[in-house]
Amino acid sequence: MHEETLFRDLRAKLVEVAEIEHAPRIARVEIWLGALSHVTEDHLRSEWSELVKGTPAEGSALTVVVSEEPSDPRARSLVMRSVAVATEGKAA
Amino acid sequence: MSERTIHLDYLARVEGEGALKVRVHDGAVEDVELAIWEPPRFFEALLRGRACREAPDITARICGICPVAYQMSACHAVERALGLTVTGPLRDLRRLLYCGEWIESHALHIYLLHAPDFLGYPDAIHLAKDHPEAVATGLALKKAGNAIVAQLGGREIHPVNVRVGGFYCAPSRDELAPLVPVLEAAFESAERTAHFAADLPFPKVEEDYEFVALRGPEEYPMNEGEVVSSRGLRIPQERYDEEFEEVQVPYSHALQSRRRGGGPYLVGPLARYALNRDRLLPRTQRLVADLGLEPVVRNPYRSILVRSVEVAYACEEALRLIRAYTPPAAAWVEPPEGFAGGIGRALTEAPRGILYHRYDIAPDGGIREAKIVAPTSQNQSRIEEDVRHVVTAQIDRPEAELAEACERAIRNHDPCISCATHFLKLEVDRG
Repeated sequence: MHEETLFRDLRAKLVEVAEIEHAPRIARVEIWLGALSHVTEDHLRSEWSELVKGTPAEGSALTVVVSEEPSDPRARSLVMRSVAVATEGKAA
Repeated sequence: MSERTIHLDYLARVEGEGALKVRVHDGAVEDVELAIWEPPRFFEALLRGRACREAPDITARICGICPVAYQMSACHAVERALGLTVTGPLRDLRRLLYCGEWIESHALHIYLLHAPDFLGYPDAIHLAKDHPEAVATGLALKKAGNAIVAQLGGREIHPVNVRVGGFYCAPSRDELAPLVPVLEAAFESAERTAHFAADLPFPKVEEDYEFVALRGPEEYPMNEGEVVSSRGLRIPQERYDEEFEEVQVPYSHALQSRRRGGGPYLVGPLARYALNRDRLLPRTQRLVADLGLEPVVRNPYRSILVRSVEVAYACEEALRLIRAYTPPAAAWVEPPEGFAGGIGRALTEAPRGILYHRYDIAPDGGIREAKIVAPTSQNQSRIEEDVRHVVTAQIDRPEAELAEACERAIRNHDPCISCATHFLKLEVDRG
């Protein structure tokens, strides 16, 4: 029942990462959904564009990895695995 | 442009469940708005069309901390509609189950949420490093409460043995007997908890609360009683809707309650204690006397002390009920035949305060309409007042400190948002 606050927390983290990295734009985000997280891929995708609107992640490509392993210690969680930030120079 | 991938493995957290907007003009606090963002869950709509016997188990899912409260209010409300009264050992078992929930819920709040505030720790994990014995006492108390709920309810969280008319299965005396030494030890832990709480440094604050609680003819209230207030209200439960209303405020998802034609009011331990102190059992009365606890506590920070007293009471009451227990002839009673449809209303005392259920039930037993008013929504408007006073008194403090002070003021009343970490986002408009 806490999807909205979980999503807002993810958005805050994206903004924080962009600030720390001095990145004008976030290009890709990968999110892992625990098997018991009560958040479906469809749900997350349907909220995503609104969620990141007005942030550096607006227009970013979202990859969702859905776990089917209920015994995973993080099975009830959403995990932001990685963020690809757009940089001015060449890729490291 | 190129890309650089940063590997985070960041776990999303339930954080920022609430927001506090403060408007300041010419150095004076003009407005305080406490917003709860947790989205509506539509339980009342979900109940429409379901069989009334399902209400206790469906509504129990509203809260993982106080599922028994939802089961009790649902059972009583449905039974009133059906013309069914549960008495004798079944009534006592319900009260015993409620004791278990009070113990576990209060212990959780006292040690894991509230005590760290007074001692300058961010949370119970840090508290445990310096005060391991305090946290161990809290966990032992919670375990004792869990033991009651598991014995009567079939499991510790979201018990499954409660039904309209009683229980699916009633325990024998032998099955309850192992709880006696557990609860004797728990009472002593509760006494230590109360003395520990009494020594905490309390800010000097007095609030002008209208307390609202149940009050019955003999016992400290749990499952029954009239609705009474510290300003003279005394009504049967059936008249709750005539005296109280829920309103939607534009800045919050959560409904707020108030007296019709009146203002905010407070439910929960401070209210129960102020209105029912004479109903405490002898050992708990002695504890109250030893503590020198005032008859009416209007300092919200001292709610930790009253909550400790209620833990002691719940242990003492549970022991009394177990020692007097004789198993019922049947684990549940059936409603009278010929039900023609009707409305049932009931309030019981959840750990956080009175919890109201109303069901309009069709002749075939289907729920036509449901209404549930949780203690958190009843207290929200009054909590907003408390926070307004904190902000007014401390408006010159840096915003991070002010936010912490406001979180403390909210946590005094144990609303459901308070277990989220750093649940409050503060926004001060200084004009």
